[in-house]
Amino acid sequence: MNSPYLTDKAEKVTTEAPVKVPVKAPVKEEENIFLPKPAKILHALPMAKSEKCFRLSFEDGTSMGHQPGQIVEASLFGYGEIPLGIASSPTREGYFELVIRKTGRVSNALWNLNEGETMYIRGPLGKGFPVEEFKGHDVLIIAGGIGLCPTRSMIEYIEDRREEFGRFILFFGARTPKDQLFMDCIARWREEKEWIEYHETVDQADADWKGNVGVITTLFSKTSISKDTRVIICGPPVMYKFVIKELKKLSIPDSHIYVDLERRMKCGVGKCGHCQINDLYVCTDGPVFKFASIKNLEEAF
Amino acid sequence: MRLLFLQKDELAPFVDNLIASHPVVGPKAKKDRFVFDKIESPSELRLDYDTTVLPPKKYFFQPQQDLIKFSPEGFKGCIEPKQRIIFGVHPYDIKAISMLDQLFSEGKKDWNYLANRNAATIIGINVHTVYKYAFFESMGASIVTKGYDLFLTDIGEEGFVVEAATDKGEALLLLGSFDQATPDQMQKRREILYGQTDRCSQKIVHMPEEIAEKVSRSFHHPIWEEMADRCFSCGSCNLVCPTCYCFDVQDVWNLDQASGTRFRTWDGCLTEDFAKVTVQGGEENFREDRASRYRHRIMRKAVYLNTKLEGPACVGCGRCASACPADLANPVHVLNKIMEG
Repeated sequence: MNSPYLTDKAEKVTTEAPVKVPVKAPVKEEENIFLPKPAKILHALPMAKSEKCFRLSFEDGTSMGHQPGQIVEASLFGYGEIPLGIASSPTREGYFELVIRKTGRVSNALWNLNEGETMYIRGPLGKGFPVEEFKGHDVLIIAGGIGLCPTRSMIEYIEDRREEFGRFILFFGARTPKDQLFMDCIARWREEKEWIEYHETVDQADADWKGNVGVITTLFSKTSISKDTRVIICGPPVMYKFVIKELKKLSIPDSHIYVDLERRMKCGVGKCGHCQINDLYVCTDGPVFKFASIKNLEEAF
Repeated sequence: MRLLFLQKDELAPFVDNLIASHPVVGPKAKKDRFVFDKIESPSELRLDYDTTVLPPKKYFFQPQQDLIKFSPEGFKGCIEPKQRIIFGVHPYDIKAISMLDQLFSEGKKDWNYLANRNAATIIGINVHTVYKYAFFESMGASIVTKGYDLFLTDIGEEGFVVEAATDKGEALLLLGSFDQATPDQMQKRREILYGQTDRCSQKIVHMPEEIAEKVSRSFHHPIWEEMADRCFSCGSCNLVCPTCYCFDVQDVWNLDQASGTRFRTWDGCLTEDFAKVTVQGGEENFREDRASRYRHRIMRKAVYLNTKLEGPACVGCGRCASACPADLANPVHVLNKIMEG
C-alpha cells in the first residue's frame, strides 16, 4: 500500500532558528510516588516460626505520622516490595513496627534482615481506623492469625489513650499456640484486666494449652457485648462472614463494623489495579472499610 | 481556537521540518497492520491508517518502564522525559489519552507517566479509514475538542484545516506554510468532523448511561460464564487497550548482583494471578475463575469508572476485538447481548 498523502520530497526545507515546543519544569525527586525512604532496623524480634517483628525508624529522622490501621509498602532492592499493615500505634513515638511473615521471595528477603540493616518504606498509605468514630464507645477487636498485626496499632492506641474509650475487648484466634504472635504482649493482656478484656482461642491445642479451643466465633459466648460496641475485624478471608453473622445476632449495626481487608498490591497509591474490589481500590479507599459501605460489593467477601 | 489551512503538498515539507526539530512518531505500515513508530521521512507516515496494533499510550506509559535504579551507593528515580511529537493520532486515542491523564493525576500524581505526557506534542487527525472492529461512534469518541495540540482535518484534494489548540501547537506552526482558513474551508471541516456519524459497522445502540445501569445489575448474568468459557486468560485484550493502565512492579539485578532496576510492566486483569496473594499455607485468588476476570474487565470499561470519567472507559477503538485469539473480547457483542437480553 502507498500513502495517498505523502511522498518524500527531493529537497528538504530548512528553517533558520530551531523551533522547540515549550517545556514544563522537571520533576522533583520527592514527587516520585515510587521512591521509598530508608528506615533503620532498631530491633528484629522473632515471634513465631515464620514471623518477625521489626522495629524501625526513618533514617532522615521523620516520624511515620500514621493513623492506626494504615499500611506501608516495604521493600528491599533487588527483591521487590510488599504491602504491610503498620503494627504499632502513632502514640508510641520514635519508631514504627512491621511484622513480616515469610511466605514469598520478598517477604523472605525482608525477614532475613537484622538489626542495624535498612528496609525501604513508602507510606503511610491508605485509610486507617477512623479513631474519632470509636471514641466514647465500647470497642471490640476481632483478630485472626496475622490479622493481629495491623490491629495492634489500634490496641496500643487504646492502651495509650484508655480514657477516651469505653470497654475494650480483644478476641484473638490462632491456628495453634505456637502460631500466636506478640507473646510478650499477650502475656500482659492476660494479666492487665484493668484496661483490656482479652479472650483467645486456638484451632488446635497442644499439650500445654489450657485455654479455649475452636474457631474465633466460639469466643462470643465468653463475654457479653453491648449493642453500642464499635467492632474491628481483621483476619483470613474466610473469617469475616462467620464473625459478621455473630455480630448480627448482637444487633450491632453494619455502620459500626470496620473491616481491614487484604488484597494483592503493587503501587499502594491507587494506580496499579491489583487490589480492586469492584470499583474500589483497597490501597487508597481502604484497607479499612466500614462494613455498611462495602457489604453490597460483590467481590468484597 | 485558531483554524489554519495547510495545502496538501505542503504537508511533506511540514513533516520534514518537524522531524528536523524533534523526534517524530506516527502511524507506519507493519506487515498488514499499522504501528506507531519513529518517522524518518514523510513518506513513512500513513495517515490513511485504520488503527494501530498498540495505542500511543506506549510513549507515556511504556510496556516496560524503569522506576528506580539502585546500587550499593543508593537509589534514584528514572523520570527522564523525552520531547516527542506524536503525529496522526485519531480522536478515539486522544480521548483515551485524556482519560489516562486524569487517572494518573488523581490522588497522588504519577510523574513517571505525566512527565512523558507533558513532553509530548500531540497532532491529531480525523479518521480516514474506519477499522473493521471500530465502534468509536457508539462510545462518543468520534469527535474530541481537547487533548491535542494541533488537529488536522482532511477536507479533500485541497488540503487540511489545522486547529491550533495550545501554545505547544502554535510553536510548531512556524515549521510549515500555513494560511488562515477561509470560511468555506471551515465549513468543510465542520461537515467532515460533525457530519459523518455512521461510518462504523460495529454499533451499540444504547446510551452509555443505560448500559452502565443495566450492566451493573448483571453481575450474576450467565453471559460471563458463557463468554469466558473460551477465554485463554492471556490478557491480550488488556495489553492492546488504550485505557487499560494496570501494571506490575518487579526488581531485577544487574549482572554484578549489586545494582539493578525496579521497573513496571503492563499487566492485565484477565491473567490468572492478577488478584492472587500468598497467604499462610497457600494462596488466595480474589478473582479465581475466568468468568469473574472477564466480567471485571467489562465492568471496568462500562460501569466502574463512569462517574469519575463522566462516561465509559472504552473509546471503541476495536483493538481488543481484533487481539483476542478466541474472538470473545469484543465489547459490542457482550454489551449488546446484555442490553437485548
